[in-house]
Order: sequence, then structure tokens, then C-alpha cells
Amino acid sequence: MKKNTMPSRKDERLLIKQLIEGDSQAFDFVVSEYHNIMLSVARAIVGEAFADEVVQDAWISAIKALPKFEGRSSLKTWLLHIVSNGAKSRVRRENRHVSLDDGWESVPADKFDPTGHRYDDVHTWDNASPESLLANEQLQTIIENTFQNLPAVQRAVLSMYEMEGIKMDEICNILDISSSNARVLLHRARTTLHHSIEKYQDN
Amino acid sequence: MAECKDIAEEASNILNGDLPFRKRIALHIHLFYCSCCRNYIQQLKQTISTISVLRPKEKDTTDKSALAKKLQELSQNNKV
Repeated sequence: MKKNTMPSRKDERLLIKQLIEGDSQAFDFVVSEYHNIMLSVARAIVGEAFADEVVQDAWISAIKALPKFEGRSSLKTWLLHIVSNGAKSRVRRENRHVSLDDGWESVPADKFDPTGHRYDDVHTWDNASPESLLANEQLQTIIENTFQNLPAVQRAVLSMYEMEGIKMDEICNILDISSSNARVLLHRARTTLHHSIEKYQDN
Repeated sequence: MAECKDIAEEASNILNGDLPFRKRIALHIHLFYCSCCRNYIQQLKQTISTISVLRPKEKDTTDKSALAKKLQELSQNNKV
């Protein structure tokens, strides 16, 4: 499975040096690489309304603190912790409660008989590889729309785990959720996306 | 005895290798004789690989070039 490749420690040290020196390409690089996942984390914690502002503030704090960055974690993880801390403070300040996970349909009960067996056969998909699935533009759009409609916290867990290659215990720290919660959220996100592909394949 | 519903509920944990021993054995015994569940697990794997390749992103209207420029200026002002 393809995970996002993290820059090596050496590359990252160079990148940080370039940022401290004010290299414009380095700034373009970090913003294009990390802004979207920072936004995802902020939305998961504080909700849509304040997420943009929280991420902007996190960038400013990070840039100011960069000369003191000790490299004990990757730059990406460090940035995600900054945005997470900012979002948690904002939640406290606004006295907001953001629902951890809403709008999810569980595995449809009508797929199983009372003893827990499936009613219908599950067949293999004709287009087996990701490339052949994604060759279909309509299906690509369906997957993207399904992703956008997931609850923010599911999107954040899925993006960090599947696309950014961040370990589960780190994800729990960033989002301040238990390991069992994180696993349930990941499973729900995967299952919802699976349903959308399955539905398309069945039609 | 594990059933199809248990496989559906634990599919991610099966793929992540994240289950207690007894439960893992029970689910794998079910998978051994149930081709539907084997196909389901296969489909879920394909879903995960597909997401990793497609890499869907958060909706984001930020002007990233402008943000990068603003941060660069801030970093330079910080030095003074």
C-alpha cells in the first residue's frame, strides 16, 4: 500500500534551514505539503467555522518557533501538534462541543440474517487494481464526494493513517482520542468508501 | 463462532493485524470457509489501496502562494 513518503531527516534539516533563511521555495513547499492535513486536523477538533483561523494561527506560531525546533519528531507531526493544541484551546475558549462522529450509517443490518450470515453473495471486483478503478472518472468523483461527506474526524483519521503514514498512537495524541475510538473511526471511513465503490460496481 | 457480521465489523482490525489471539483465530476460521467474506476483505483492501493512490483532499479555498509569501515575510521580520 502506498503511503506518503516522509522527507528523510537530512532532507528535513535542509528544509528547516531553508525556511529559517527565508527561502521562498521552501515556504511554497511546506504550505502545499502540509496545509491541507493541518486543516483536516483543525476541522476534526474545532469544526468548520474556526478551522481556517486556527490553521493560520498555527502557521504563524510554527514559523516563529521554527529556530527552536529540535527535530524530535518530523516537521509534519510537529506542525500537526501545533494546530491540534491551537484547536483544543479554541474549543475551550468558545466552549464548543464538536461531535466526535456523526452521520454514519453502520453496516446495513439488512445485509445479514438474524444469525449474522450474509444474505447476498459478495463477488470479486472486475477492476482489481487501484489504477483500473481510478481509470473510471465517474467512480473517481464518487470516491472524492464520499470522502468529502465523511464526518471531519473520520476524514482526519483516514487522511493521517492512509495517506500521510502517521502511526495510530500519534493520531490519538493529535486528536486526543482513545486508540479504540481511532480504530472505529478508521473502520467507519473505510467502510463508507467501500460502500460507495461497491454500489457503483453493482450498478 | 464468528459470523459474516463479525467479519464486517472487525475487517479493519483484521487488515491491521490488530486483534487478540482468540478472536483472530475465530475470524480466520470463518474466512477459511466463507468465500463471501474473503471477497469482502479483498474489496476492502482494494478500497484502501485506491484511496491511498487517489489521495482525496479536504476542500480548501486557501490561496497557498499568498500564505507562503506571508509566512516568509513573517520569518524575515522575526529575524530583525
